[in-house]
Amino acid sequence: MDKNPRTPQDEKGKLMAWLGDEAPRDSQAEPDPILSALDALWAEGPPEAALETMREALDGWWAGQRLVLYYDSLPTPIGVVYAAVTDQGVVSVDFGLADEAAYLEHLREHHLSKREVAYVHAPERVAPVTRQLGEYFRGEREGFDFPVDLRRLTDFQREVLQATSEVPPGEIVSYKEIARRIGRPKAVRAVGNALGRNPVPILIPCHRVVPTDGSLGGYSGGGGSKTKARLLALEGVLPGERGLYAPT
Amino acid sequence: MLTHRDEIYRYAWRMVGDAQDAQDLTQETFLRAYRAFERLEPDSNVRAWLYKIATNACLTFLKRRGRERMVTLDASASGLAVQTETPPDVVGRLELLREVAEAVEALPPRQRAAIVQRKYQGLSYGEIAASLGCSEDTARAHVYQGLRKLRAQFRDESEVRHG
Repeated sequence: MDKNPRTPQDEKGKLMAWLGDEAPRDSQAEPDPILSALDALWAEGPPEAALETMREALDGWWAGQRLVLYYDSLPTPIGVVYAAVTDQGVVSVDFGLADEAAYLEHLREHHLSKREVAYVHAPERVAPVTRQLGEYFRGEREGFDFPVDLRRLTDFQREVLQATSEVPPGEIVSYKEIARRIGRPKAVRAVGNALGRNPVPILIPCHRVVPTDGSLGGYSGGGGSKTKARLLALEGVLPGERGLYAPT
Repeated sequence: MLTHRDEIYRYAWRMVGDAQDAQDLTQETFLRAYRAFERLEPDSNVRAWLYKIATNACLTFLKRRGRERMVTLDASASGLAVQTETPPDVVGRLELLREVAEAVEALPPRQRAAIVQRKYQGLSYGEIAASLGCSEDTARAHVYQGLRKLRAQFRDESEVRHG
């Protein structure tokens, strides 16, 4: 017969002590081979080399996932303007949308690659952008000074937008002139297309680019040409005779 | 969110006992979390939420793996690499570890999860309950019943061996 029969009470006390739960006072923490074996199996955790491999794989994968998008909005004379930023800078400016749900739907459709994105309404993250946009619409600011994240665009699109961003307020230039400035004088139509896909209107002032015929040309931002005329008027550029503009 | 990756990996490793499977499960956990991030309440406890996702992923995995798979004990997991015992002890120890690993593999996955979370991941019973989607009492019962089952199995085995 067992000299030292184990009562259920002893057993429970031992388990409680091992688990760190509140154990009865008289419970003796005599080592239990099964519990020690469990410790040997699990206490130390995975080897450092496995952890390192996992960290490398996960960090690489995570970086490849397309980021969290933070957004906020502000009221302006052309309606509610939404801005979205990543850790790298502004990725989109949108307006002419019915409400926030419509905006998020629009973001999903137009501004995102196929990668997964989380959207977070985060006014503090977007604050520099909304503040400067507010100043711009009040006529207190001409240019913007925060980074714009254009990683998803082609080199050509980026060149067109870069050249466009150098057109100061109060001036207008033609599509043809932008094509000339980037050294692709024959790519006038392509310039128009690239500007039509400008993800950050107002910040990169595609509204300052018009056709040579004096018309206003298209505008892909919300509200179309009407908004384009409104922005130009805000900057002091008004059409001349017969409603025609005179670009450089 | 990724700041919890080591902890979640350790948890997955203890749950499935294999470095590569644990890595896949950790990545799956973060992918699911990433997709659902939008729906997470702003004040939520991200860590507890990750445990819940990881637990679901691990339980599904264990269910799939079932009992068919032979337990292959990772030598590094047994701690043998750092053992300084004499060879007979090592053999005996390895045997015991192999038996424990087999017994653990045979445990109902929820009991295994509860034991790992309580003893090795340092979760409270409230947190375990949240991750398993049960009451605190049930979480506690999972831990104790799992441990009793392990011990009972060993008592039976030693009787067979020595009787």
